Amino acid sequence: MKIEFIQENENFAKFILKDSSITFANSWRRAMKSYVPTMAVDYIDVYLNTSFLYDEILAHRIGLIPLKTNLEKYNPQEKCVCNGEGCPNCQVSLRLNVEGPKVVYSGDFISEDPEIVPVFEDIPIVELYKDQQLMIEAVARLGTGKEHAKFQPVSLCSYKIIPKIEIERGKCNLCKRCIEVCPRDVFGVEDEDIKVERILDCSFCLECVKACDEKAITVLETNNFLFTIEGLGQLPIRVVMKKALEVLKEKAEEMNRILEAV
Amino acid sequence: MFPIRCFTCGSLIGNKWERYKELLKMKTPKEALDELNIKRYCCRRMFLTHKSVIEEFAKFHGAVG
Ligand SMILES: [Zn+2]
Ligand SMILES: [Zn+2]
Repeated sequence: MKIEFIQENENFAKFILKDSSITFANSWRRAMKSYVPTMAVDYIDVYLNTSFLYDEILAHRIGLIPLKTNLEKYNPQEKCVCNGEGCPNCQVSLRLNVEGPKVVYSGDFISEDPEIVPVFEDIPIVELYKDQQLMIEAVARLGTGKEHAKFQPVSLCSYKIIPKIEIERGKCNLCKRCIEVCPRDVFGVEDEDIKVERILDCSFCLECVKACDEKAITVLETNNFLFTIEGLGQLPIRVVMKKALEVLKEKAEEMNRILEAV
Repeated sequence: MFPIRCFTCGSLIGNKWERYKELLKMKTPKEALDELNIKRYCCRRMFLTHKSVIEEFAKFHGAVG
């Protein structure tokens, strides 16, 4: 198994997973989406809310704000020493105390821990008009995407099989129908010969196979996968990838233990 | 108020709203969305079809009570 990055920055990655299997690719994808813990606001205490939005709507909106996460510093609540009651080892509280007229942004939150702050400071939460006030204490904790989508560290995480397109030189009569018909523009001409130029764009539509009267084209599946991941900023992409693998390994080991006990 | 996440794909769009409004002053919605790097049509429609209800409420602010 090998990974080759095509494009990468803090919150976006495109890479090829080579010589793997579809089962592994899919379980990795699912682990990244639903087993990597991140911080998000879980409940809020509303002391004063005279804005136009209901408390529930505010709670929902605040919950969706991604928070920068430090996985070393905080425990998941169910594994914490406090047995899920909530303590400084598993919770962070963020305070919001504002008065209108003003637009309240995610950057207005004052966090207990300077490390756990909103990733973006310019997310509008609510617009306050004259004499409106907001006094809120929001409590954030670690959670996984399995529980609620607000805990997902990735907004897009998908893979596709990279195909292998074979053109039989003997049969091909250079009619160039495949070039015309391909919606993803995969083929190109080089030295009077049809070449597969942009294989990563191929979507397995098989239009080229249907269009070729000489039956010269075959499209095969390979064991290589193209992953596209878009992060939300709570954790860097590489950390998400690594953490997901750790979770998978843990689960596999647990399965082993169960099998040995049987 | 503008939604924080796209309803369909869950990507963060709330942080781009203010910049979108700024860009609209001299650009078409298409150019503004392209500049903000919003690629999927689910996220694009969030911007194109948004109507702020809170501004409608605000017209009556102070009128009653
Ligand atoms: Zn605790
Ligand atoms: Zn979307």
